[in-house]
Amino acid sequence: MHSYNTISWHQSTPEIEGMVTPSRVHSRVYTDERIFQLEIERIFGRAWVYVGHHSEVPNPGDFKTRVIGRTPVIMVRGKDRVVRVLVNRCRHRGAQVCETESGNTKVFRCWYHGWIYNIDGSLAEVTSPAAYETPLDPQDMGLSAVPRVDHYRGFVFGSLTSTGEDLVTHLGGAAPMIDLLCDASPTGQIFVDGGSHKTVFNANWKLVGMDGYHPNVLHASVVAAWSRNPDGGLGSTHRESPFFDEAATRTRDFGHGHVMLDFRDHRIKHYDSLTAYLRKIAGGEQYIANMHAKYGESRARLLISLAGDAHLGTFPNMQLIHNQVRIITPISAGKTEVMMTAVRLDGVSDALNTERFRQQESFYGPSGAGSPDDAEIFERVQRGLVAEVNPWVEISRGMGRQKVDVDGSIVGLITDEVTQRGIMRYWKQLMTVA
Amino acid sequence: MHTSTWSDLREVELFLFYEAELADRSAYTDWFGLWTQELLYCVPCNSDEIAPSRKIAIIYDDRPKLEERLYRLGTKFAHSQRPKSLLSRSITNIVLGEDYHPATGGSVTSRFVLAEVRNEEQRFWAGRSQHVLARENGRLLMKEKIVYLLANDLPLSNMTFII
Repeated sequence: MHSYNTISWHQSTPEIEGMVTPSRVHSRVYTDERIFQLEIERIFGRAWVYVGHHSEVPNPGDFKTRVIGRTPVIMVRGKDRVVRVLVNRCRHRGAQVCETESGNTKVFRCWYHGWIYNIDGSLAEVTSPAAYETPLDPQDMGLSAVPRVDHYRGFVFGSLTSTGEDLVTHLGGAAPMIDLLCDASPTGQIFVDGGSHKTVFNANWKLVGMDGYHPNVLHASVVAAWSRNPDGGLGSTHRESPFFDEAATRTRDFGHGHVMLDFRDHRIKHYDSLTAYLRKIAGGEQYIANMHAKYGESRARLLISLAGDAHLGTFPNMQLIHNQVRIITPISAGKTEVMMTAVRLDGVSDALNTERFRQQESFYGPSGAGSPDDAEIFERVQRGLVAEVNPWVEISRGMGRQKVDVDGSIVGLITDEVTQRGIMRYWKQLMTVA
Repeated sequence: MHTSTWSDLREVELFLFYEAELADRSAYTDWFGLWTQELLYCVPCNSDEIAPSRKIAIIYDDRPKLEERLYRLGTKFAHSQRPKSLLSRSITNIVLGEDYHPATGGSVTSRFVLAEVRNEEQRFWAGRSQHVLARENGRLLMKEKIVYLLANDLPLSNMTFII
């Protein structure tokens, strides 16, 4: 047996190897700060990390500040309309050059010694340049670009390493699931600009996960509320509970840690009831017609039923849940921030987007009926995991009945821990590469 | 145009203090009784801007939504309020709006500082509140309560108690 008391920076790989098996995970994967530091290096320092969406910076000069692991970055649209991801650090003495989270600017200026950068990152001006015998090269001394940046349908990802598989390969089977959100719009365009619920809790970032086993238990209070009013809050998107093994809902593992609670086959059975609900909303009838015109009968029925709810997590830090794009930001082994930004669908009535905003508020955010209970339980887990008398976290549920589907994904029933296993298998793969 | 008197202010103060007391005690049913039929309970998100068809709020409740919120909190399964937050808020800087009339009500602004103890931690919440009060059958009631949290753009922990 390994001793887990001896992990250090240089000898960590073999210990980590033994900490994740196909069916269980050692507590320290969630509680140990040294493992957390390794995650920052080996996962957030290498993988494709979600940064933001093109629609958040629609005009030249628009920017958002974000982090990739620990690295502060600026996502900014240039005069050439290209969206770049630049490191938020002056090339002179290292001060951040952008201090607000969002806005529009002509330049980035360091207020320490007055170095100025263009929005494409190039160095525009330094105070008293004559002191440099060789003039500073505007490109060489520009803000560092994140080594690799790419996007899928406007979802911008960055990687802090210059080599590795490309974004399309990384996303693999998860990419068509991102389409399920974008194509909830009859133009295929979304705006990730409907405001952000920002939350923080004292638990490990991996606990956010994607879990179809908990809703009927943990969210019993919400289920009770829905039984009084089926069209209240998110209740309107559910017909019949999707969280029993008899339901057509599935858990899915696409590899690369990308996992999904797949509501497609469940929701489409309730197309008539879901469209009846849509018709009560101003512009709902038009929406249904426009969706059919754009996508054709069969695809439109699926997209309308799903209402954009991909319920997809792309490893390590993005989730598309209901009407929101989530960014999961690890702060320490025991602290995590989750930002839930509301999506506006292009080409739909204000009333429909308004309804979707109210649905998000009902369940998510710091005062919602769902997220705070999830966070509460994550904190209870984090406190419990300190106990190492029997340190294993059990993730074997449904191992014997999972299957490989035609698209290559591993699929299980909704309460199966296919998603947890998928995340931890890839986590181990990344964490054991020195 | 009514010039507000000390007694107008005193009545409103006592109302806001009573509301604060019920909120601090998480007395959901009694607190819900302080509202008019038509109501708006709102906590804007990210900034003080309220744009319900353009963006989300932290809370944007009409009567059915608020009723559902309080119903849920009253079940045994609202884990983020089991145990309940211990709360103590001070309501200060109470100013009657120019539209305020003791016969009909009107707008009132105030500030609050709220200490919360839960999960072995003490947290502080602060901000400005804007009430719209209405007099019905001689009683003051709330028609609107908008809470402009100082920290509405920070990552927030569990705020499932009555703010």
